[in-house]
Amino acid sequence: MELPFVVVTILFCLGIYTIITQKNLIKIVLGFTIVESSLILIFVLVSYQPGGTAPILDKAYHLVVDPIPQALALTSIVIGGSVTAVMLALVIKIQKRYRTLNVDKLRKLKG
Amino acid sequence: MQAAIWLIILPLLTAFFIGISKVFYSYKLLFPLVTGSAILYLYLLISVIDHSYPPKVYSVGDWGLLGINIMVDPFSGLLLLMIALLFLPVIVFSLKYITFHTHNYFILTYIMTAGIAGMVLTADLFNLYVFLEVSSLSSCALVALKKTNKAIEGTFKYLVMSTLGSFFILLATILTYDLTGTLNMAEISVAFQDIPFQIKSILMAFFIFGYAIKIGLIPLHAWLPDSYEESPIPYNVLSSGLVMKSAVYALIRVLYILFGFDFLDETGMLQIGVVWGVVTFLIAHLLAFQQSNVIRLLAYSSIAQIAYITIGLFVGTERGLIGGNFHILNHAIMKGTLFFVIAIFHYSLTAVDIKDLKGLGFRFPLLSFTFVVASLAIVGLPPFNGFISKWLIVEAALDAGFIYAAFSILVGTFLSLTYYLKVIVTLYTKTDKTIEMKEPGLALKLPTIFLGSLCIVFGIAPSLPLSLIDKIPTFLLDHEEYISILLGG
Repeated sequence: MELPFVVVTILFCLGIYTIITQKNLIKIVLGFTIVESSLILIFVLVSYQPGGTAPILDKAYHLVVDPIPQALALTSIVIGGSVTAVMLALVIKIQKRYRTLNVDKLRKLKG
Repeated sequence: MQAAIWLIILPLLTAFFIGISKVFYSYKLLFPLVTGSAILYLYLLISVIDHSYPPKVYSVGDWGLLGINIMVDPFSGLLLLMIALLFLPVIVFSLKYITFHTHNYFILTYIMTAGIAGMVLTADLFNLYVFLEVSSLSSCALVALKKTNKAIEGTFKYLVMSTLGSFFILLATILTYDLTGTLNMAEISVAFQDIPFQIKSILMAFFIFGYAIKIGLIPLHAWLPDSYEESPIPYNVLSSGLVMKSAVYALIRVLYILFGFDFLDETGMLQIGVVWGVVTFLIAHLLAFQQSNVIRLLAYSSIAQIAYITIGLFVGTERGLIGGNFHILNHAIMKGTLFFVIAIFHYSLTAVDIKDLKGLGFRFPLLSFTFVVASLAIVGLPPFNGFISKWLIVEAALDAGFIYAAFSILVGTFLSLTYYLKVIVTLYTKTDKTIEMKEPGLALKLPTIFLGSLCIVFGIAPSLPLSLIDKIPTFLLDHEEYISILLGG
């Protein structure tokens, strides 16, 4: 049970690191998707039970996984997808206007 | 309490039908649809606010604690009151003001309002996150509506920062579920009593970091002025009035209900919050002074006012909570008025820089007077509403022993007076230049004057809103009350 959480933590930190350090807009968006996937993985991990089956209300299935985090994971996949879509749309607009993807060259707003 | 759920459904439905009407009827149905829905929404809001005391729980689909619970208590009643005061004026104003992408603007505004209403009403931690994302994503799209270079750049900044904040909120939500096995706020609060101190502190840090980005406390504020600068100005009224306030609401709800007042006191979070607020408004006032663009100036002023609210809410006494909550309401009204007046100037002669406002005080006597009233109110001079809420916050800070906070608020008042005076003096400077302009119609003037007159009315008769606000602290300082109502309902 320990190893998956370590992996998820590494993914999360990697994503945040990408967002903070990268200059390329596409790479920043990639950083966001990495963080988001790590959060979805945490959802799955939280509900995981060794040997558990689908949560069907029946006598035959007594060891079931918790269904709520999986439902929540679906919701956050949808939210994450829409956030990424909006972000990429903005990146396309920025690329068309400025002809660059470098954050440092976008300097219209200051102060 | 059936009306409460309709507060979320109605704006969503309206947004949906505006989209359909665009395809089939173009502009014919827009006006009746938008205004009709806004008036119906106002009626629903008033009927829910009227029943906010004693607090009531409404369980969607009668699933009890398993399902989605909606709770109306005085604190959410206050936020609903703000929606009621701001939403219809903004809609009336926008119908005249917005001339580009009209349908998109109204669709997004209605979705944003649905998200805010959801955040305010829900008693479920994950729903809080979902509604937060609904409101902040649609608000990002609204910022980009003009599609100018500045607008798109500002939106990208806003989206990056706000998504970063939501990630931390989501992380904290998942970990809370892992620790307690439930998402109902009352059940979490009960289960939290057995969780070790350190783990709770880490969770609280995640929540606070996430919400502090959404609120725009310095040093996490950089997105806010940039996103305001080129967005449609009626949206700014809703943004500074409702979007930021709903994040403040969520933060206070999470801290006071989930963790409880005793835990906040024990960790020293109250002191940190007050110091953070003081630093924020001092820096924000200094930054606002340097601005040449009025909208950016108002944006920095918003950050400063939010910091006053933070101080009031983190002082941790009954009086502080009352002052902070009153300032939430007052700031929405005052900043709404200021943005409306600037929007009219922008509409008539595309003036957004301070130097463009020269001599407008003689061309628009009534509107300029409204601007002066609202800016003096936001500075905190009697007899306007800002004075009373600021006075309550200062008094609460003195009572609780935060002498430096009380002193800094007075210093901050003078700082804010300097930059608002700069604008007012420019307004009333005589100029020889002839000004070409469009005459603003009644649809633009009426909402402005309505909100401006509220500044005076709430200043002279503060007991009107305070009768609602007085009931808030009981349910925040002692979370047992909230829990028993939610579990019992």
